[in-house]
Order: sequence, then C-alpha cells, then structure tokens
Amino acid sequence: MADVACVLGAGAGFAGDRIDPAVVLARAGVDAVVLECLAERTLVPALRARREHPQAGYDPRLVRRLTPLLPVAREKGCRIVSNLGAANPVAAAERIARLGRELGLAGLKVAAIVGDDVSDRALQVRWVREPGAPLLGAHAYLGCHPLADALAQGADVVVTGRVADSALFAAVARDRLAPGQTALAGAIGVGHLLECGGQLTGGNYEPMAGAGLPPPLSAEQYAGLGYPLARVMSDGSAEIGLPPGAPGMVDALTCSLQLLYEVHDPSSYATPDLVVDFSGVRFETVGENRVRMSGVRSKGPPPTLKVAGFVDRPGFIMDCEIALAGAGAHERAEVMARALRLRLGDWADRDIAVDLVGAGSVLRAGSQPMRGPVPELRVHVSARCSDGEQAQIVEDEVYAMTLSGPAGGCSVRSEKRPRIEVLDGFIAHEQVPTQIVWSQS
Amino acid sequence: MRVGDIAAGRAGDKGDMLDLSLVARDQAAYDMLCKVLTPERLQPLMNRVVPGPVLRYEIPGLRALKFVLPRALPGGVYASLHPGLHWQKAAIWLLLDLSIADDGQRLLAPSDGLGPFT
Repeated sequence: MADVACVLGAGAGFAGDRIDPAVVLARAGVDAVVLECLAERTLVPALRARREHPQAGYDPRLVRRLTPLLPVAREKGCRIVSNLGAANPVAAAERIARLGRELGLAGLKVAAIVGDDVSDRALQVRWVREPGAPLLGAHAYLGCHPLADALAQGADVVVTGRVADSALFAAVARDRLAPGQTALAGAIGVGHLLECGGQLTGGNYEPMAGAGLPPPLSAEQYAGLGYPLARVMSDGSAEIGLPPGAPGMVDALTCSLQLLYEVHDPSSYATPDLVVDFSGVRFETVGENRVRMSGVRSKGPPPTLKVAGFVDRPGFIMDCEIALAGAGAHERAEVMARALRLRLGDWADRDIAVDLVGAGSVLRAGSQPMRGPVPELRVHVSARCSDGEQAQIVEDEVYAMTLSGPAGGCSVRSEKRPRIEVLDGFIAHEQVPTQIVWSQS
Repeated sequence: MRVGDIAAGRAGDKGDMLDLSLVARDQAAYDMLCKVLTPERLQPLMNRVVPGPVLRYEIPGLRALKFVLPRALPGGVYASLHPGLHWQKAAIWLLLDLSIADDGQRLLAPSDGLGPFT
C-alpha cells in the first residue's frame, strides 16, 4: 500500500456550522483542518458588506470560529485552510493575524488567495443565459494550486474567497502525492467527500429500515457528532474515519451518498483542476467507522473555469405564516387558506403559494396523506413582490386574518427575502490570474 | 415494499438543479430499483412537485442510482415559494416513500392508495 501523504480534517461544512468539531480534529493530530464556510449564496451578504465598508466582506463568524482553533492548531502544528475570506480574503487574513496577536501567537503566517473576483471581466464570461438584471458580483471557482503554493511557502493559515470546496482539501495533499493526474484526482475526490463535514459521519442520514443495519444516531450522538478525517495516501486513495472517541457513523453507505451529493454526471465531475470520474470508486469497510476509498480517475483538466454570478432581481419574496390550534384546526386552516388566496387575487398563480405547514407545504403533491386530525397547523403564504409596498400588503393580509378570518388565527411570523439568483458562467483559465497576499501576527 | 426499506438516499441542489441519490442495500435491491425507477415512470410523478426532465445515472460499483432534475428549482434556493429556505433537503422522500409491488416488477401507482402522490 502507498504511504500516507497527509491527514485532513473537515472542520466545517457551511458558514454557520458548529465551531467545536474543528478543535476536536486539530487535537486529534490532523495535518490540516479545512473549514468550508462559503455556499453559493453566502457571497451575496459578503459583497454587500464590502460595499458598505472596505474592510468588511469576510465571514462575520471569523473571530468566533478561529479563537478556540488557532491556539490548538499552533500547538499541534496543524494548518488551517478556509474559504471564510468570502468577498474579502485580504481583510480576513489581516483579521486572523490580528487575532493571532490577541491570542499571544506570534509569527503566525496567514496567506490570502486573491483572484476569484472576476466582476470586472463579466463581459468575458460565457453565461448560460443572459443575466437580465445588474450583477451583484461574479466569482470564478479557483483550483488548488495557489493554495498549495501558499502552503509550500510556509503558510500556517490559508484564507480564500471562492474556491472549489474540494480544492481546499486537495491543496494540502498536492505536494505529497505521487506525480500525475490520478493521485490528484483522488485527493479531489476525498475533498469532495469531506466538504460537508458531518454529512459524511451520520448527519442528514436516515439508515434504511431493515434487519441487521445500525440504527439512526441518538440525540446525544447528533449533538456531539464527530466530523470526518481522511488519511490520504500518496496514490490518492484514502481511509475515511472519525477522531478517536467521537460519535458518528462512517460506512460504505454514508460515503456513497456523500460521494454522489450535488454531483451531476458522476463519471464527469468538473472541478477547476481536473474533471474527475467517480464511476469506478470503491468503498471498503476496514474497521469500525473506517472506510477505504479508492478508484477515483482523472479525465484531464476542464476547458474553462466555472463562474458564479449573482443577479439581484428587483423586489422580494414575502414569506408569512399564521397558526391555528384546537379542535377543527385543519378545517379552519383550509378555509383561511382559501380566504387568503381570494384577498391576494392580484397575484398570478405562478407568483404565490398558499398551503398548510404540517399538511404538505414541503413535498406538496408528494406528501404522505394525512391520517387523522392534527392538533395544530400553520397557513403559509409566499408571494413574489415587485417592491416593499407589495410585500407589506401580503404581510398585512395575513395579519388581518387574526381579526377577520376563521377563529383563532395566531402566532404570525414573516420574513422578507431578497430575490437573488445565481447564474452560472464559464471563463478561460488565463483570464483568472491569482496572487498570494501575506499577513503575519 | 417501500423504496426506503431497500435503499438509503439524499437530496442535494446546485443552482436550478435538484439531485437525488439512492444507494441500494444489496445487489437484488439495486437490480429492482434499476427496473422500476425509470425516468419515464418517475417524471410524471416528479412533475407534480417540480418542473422539468428527470435524468438517471447508474453507478453499479456503488449499487447507486443518481437522479438529476436540471430545471427543478427555477432560480435556485432563494426563488422558492416554499416556507423558509432549503425545502429540497426533504425531496429525497419523494423517492423513498414510493412503493414497489410485491413481485418487484413495478412501482405501485398513486391510485393504489399508498404513499405520496395519492
């Protein structure tokens, strides 16, 4: 078997993810903890914040997330790689260096990776459709190389904006892999497997009913869920597992589901560095909560880089709910839903949804049928609104049901959401130069 | 039998795309799912909830089926008229709750009165 190239831990799978799993991984002695904190749309609030203030635009959880992690990482010699730089990696790196000083950690080298923001080159992007409205921003997905270069130059922390999630992991492995595309494809595959943190170790996972299979995790196990680590071998294969003693579940099923998660064609998964082929992947259980992964193949570099553009459609989606409880709640809710649709008759069917939370608002026609009366329900209205005044009308009509609708309308709540759409595009690699900007504590 | 008795699943999304993955518990279950969960059979059911075509990828080495609905979430997560955000995390139950006839040869129809779409 090939040598161990590096041990990677997945300390966060989205911006709001738990803080403690990363600290557990660093204590367990991984070579690097990766913090994936930048979903497609997480960039939008970051871009708005940067527009308000030039030193803002990185993940506002930066200090809370890194305060417990930096001292452990320093003590254990564990690198940190994260996209929590969001729309402003340089400001994030400066803040991390300052945090290092505040924590008494002198000499911390923090590298910011710059170059993903291609909003000044939006005309060179081949969009899948016309944006049709002003772009809030345009960011290319960077690959692993600038991050790996920063690590090779001694970075303790690498902070980025938009980078392929799997590249955050592959960057740590790059210089320790056997030469050639196959090993790098393997590391990218490992990164893809790990990038959602607890979703690989039993989170968001319902074991199928049937004898002989482990039961779902308990409340205590979900509450203390260990996040995954991977021993990446120099040939790009890996052993997936949990930190010692951490609760969770890693088996061929949890790994298979996560490998396929948010992938289109599993035999051609395009990442900035390589198009990888997952169709030959094998997962073998080699111990309790230990799975060996092998068989990721490369199909060569992709012709272009993917770009995510953000389109700010005018107006809002107004999302309101009002509850009904007690005997006959369901019948009163049905009547209220019909009355609300009548009151909001100016909205075309395609621009409004009126349904019952608790009876089928999530899966709609695909919901399980109701069996027997339920003690309470919520009537839900979501409507596309061209401006704030229209949104206020929707909210007011829901509230008016407390006085002028079926008895007992209560517990009203509402949320006004901006209408942001993500638009995919493609740009030539050479249009996206990158740069490393250093900060030090 | 319920699809969720013989397979585990997970839903994901990227932009307008909804993706649904199923991993069968053994080879017999995989063969059965391949036979009954055809895009032609699923698309009319799915189109009662989300628009657009249903594509299927087979990954026999993992005993997995991958369903991709490229236009199911028009405008992406923030354009949804569902309550709150990310309803599609539950969309895998559109498949898990389907029922297969005892002979393993076909999906039960909604008119059989079982599960969703009835």
